[in-house]
Amino acid sequence: MRFLPLILRNSWRNRRRTLLTIASIGVSMCLLGVMIALYSAFWLSKPQDNQALRLVVRNRVSLAVFLPLAYRQQIEKIPGVRIATPATWFGGTYKDAREARNNFARFSVEPEKLFPLFAEWSIPEDQKQAFIHERTACVIGRDLANAFNFHLGDRIPLQGDIFPGNFEFTVRGIFDSPSNSNLMYFNKEYIDQAMPERRRGFVDTFYILIDAPEHSARVANAIDAQFRNSTGATKTESEQAFVVGFLSMLGDVRMFLVWISAAVMFTILLVSANTMAMSVRERVREVGVLKTLGFTPGTILFLILGEAVAISIAGGAIGYLISTVLLKGVQRSPMGGFLPSLHVVDPVIAAVCLALAALIGLLSSLVPALGASRAPIVEALRSTD
Amino acid sequence: MSEPIIETRNLTKEFLRDEFHVVALKDVTLEIPQGEFVTLMGPSGSGKSTLLHLIAAMDRPTGGEIRVLGHNLRELTDREIAHWRNENVGFIFQQFNLLPVLTALENVELPLKLTHLNKAERLEHAATALNLVGLGDRLGHFPRQLSGGQEQRVAIARAIVTDPALILADEPTGNLDAASAQEVLTILSKLNKDFGKTIVMVTHDPHAAHFATRVHHLEKGELMPDAA
Ligand SMILES: Nc1ncnc2c1ncn2[C@@H]1O[C@H](COP(=O)(O)OP(=O)(O)OP(=O)(O)O)[C@@H](O)[C@H]1O
Ligand SMILES: [Mg+2]
Repeated sequence: MRFLPLILRNSWRNRRRTLLTIASIGVSMCLLGVMIALYSAFWLSKPQDNQALRLVVRNRVSLAVFLPLAYRQQIEKIPGVRIATPATWFGGTYKDAREARNNFARFSVEPEKLFPLFAEWSIPEDQKQAFIHERTACVIGRDLANAFNFHLGDRIPLQGDIFPGNFEFTVRGIFDSPSNSNLMYFNKEYIDQAMPERRRGFVDTFYILIDAPEHSARVANAIDAQFRNSTGATKTESEQAFVVGFLSMLGDVRMFLVWISAAVMFTILLVSANTMAMSVRERVREVGVLKTLGFTPGTILFLILGEAVAISIAGGAIGYLISTVLLKGVQRSPMGGFLPSLHVVDPVIAAVCLALAALIGLLSSLVPALGASRAPIVEALRSTD
Repeated sequence: MSEPIIETRNLTKEFLRDEFHVVALKDVTLEIPQGEFVTLMGPSGSGKSTLLHLIAAMDRPTGGEIRVLGHNLRELTDREIAHWRNENVGFIFQQFNLLPVLTALENVELPLKLTHLNKAERLEHAATALNLVGLGDRLGHFPRQLSGGQEQRVAIARAIVTDPALILADEPTGNLDAASAQEVLTILSKLNKDFGKTIVMVTHDPHAAHFATRVHHLEKGELMPDAA
């Protein structure tokens, strides 16, 4: 490592160019960091302990088609099912739908089942009881309460669309959750009573709590088999898969993320390759001097690659830090309620970002570095800078 | 009479480039004994730099033999040559060629980074070399903060810091004013007389030749018969 000072000194020699390079690598690595974090949250993260115990049953055709509430009795008979309870997406409008944060997630549920189902959430017992016993009560997540400065006793008006009518809910509880909690839950009864007779008794989904994670496949198959020949055939999947499936309605998010990331990597590779070629070309003569002093081609290769890698890693580190700030924002946003457990600071993702940055540095400078390290001394010394 | 430190026999260097065929050196046979201060003179394009590069093994001959410090340079690999040059040859350029990002002390330390010395030893040696050329008070200066003459003295310090037996200089005073040139020549002369270094210096300056123990003339790539 006796060459580190020289490498750092050299990389800092054309400050403007170095800063621009660091900035462009930083921006791309930031983008990449966000992509990787989202990708791993959706497709690579292990379900949390409680999450692995939850299944979601929905209509096989689409989420937009309801299921009969009466399915519950049959589901409850399936071995391994501990709780089966409906949850229905309410939609509706809070104040002004054009403001993104007003479109937080809200569901009608059975109040007494909500907290047994989401055992990882915590709420004071008296608030829970108030929610169970007051028909127009609602509970909200800590994130939502903070975002709107809602307090116990506040009223939240919602204008229904899927379920027409004007509803007003009283905040009776605020719960804490380890993941994003831009969420609102209220009593299914309150909504049902405002509906005409023919609209009652239908739900979006059933949330199932099973007795052990290893039973999830068997229980899911059993539920779907049960209703295969009914008018409303079901699709049962893990909560995690359900959340991902929900987002996939936006398009093939997964391929989108992969392609964007690849394009970002490729572009930044070209940009930094150009920069590195330029800075090596300016220093051919110096390479000749170093060789005259006895530096071998290998050492020179190491110096040039080291410089490119140092610059890239600086960019990668800055980009990664910015990406965590962005992710924090995403997690707190109303959208965050849909995301599966998102790790804002994940050492694995940090390592991946830095490794990718280092790789970019290496690849972008490999060709000019090899050229310079192999250049004959006399040729190199004749080059004018 | 001491044994020759440099020995060439029919040394030839041809450049082939885009149909052009240049014979830069032709059948140069030469012996330079240890402890000499030799100047190489001759018109532009006569092959002086080329000969110096071959002696330093910075380039390979196309014909003939060359032995320097007991090594047949044609038999060494590129890696071996790099180490050999680091240890045995100090090279001084007309354009100084210091690294602008390094201080005087760091520039002089650079060749020692290829040795087994630790940092304290390297800095001590580098400071000693700079003291020797009269720049003990400029250790932390960057090249742009030095005059041309001072830069060339730093370059001399860099060339001698590994204590090489052979010092090669290609027009070391070519970019200097008379006073600075005089200083540089005085230092080289001292290195030759007091430290026993063998020096081969290319120069156009007849005055510089006064410091030499021997003068060789090249013309169109050929060594002129010794006048002295
Ligand atoms: N790398 C090269 N490729 C092609 N021709 C070269 C190369 N190096 C030197 N030559 C040619 O070889 C001849 C001798 O060049 P050299 O540099 O040795 O001359 P010199 O005596 O040092 O001249 P000067 O006093 O101008 O420095 C010249 O004709 C030159 O054009
Ligand atoms: Mg020359």
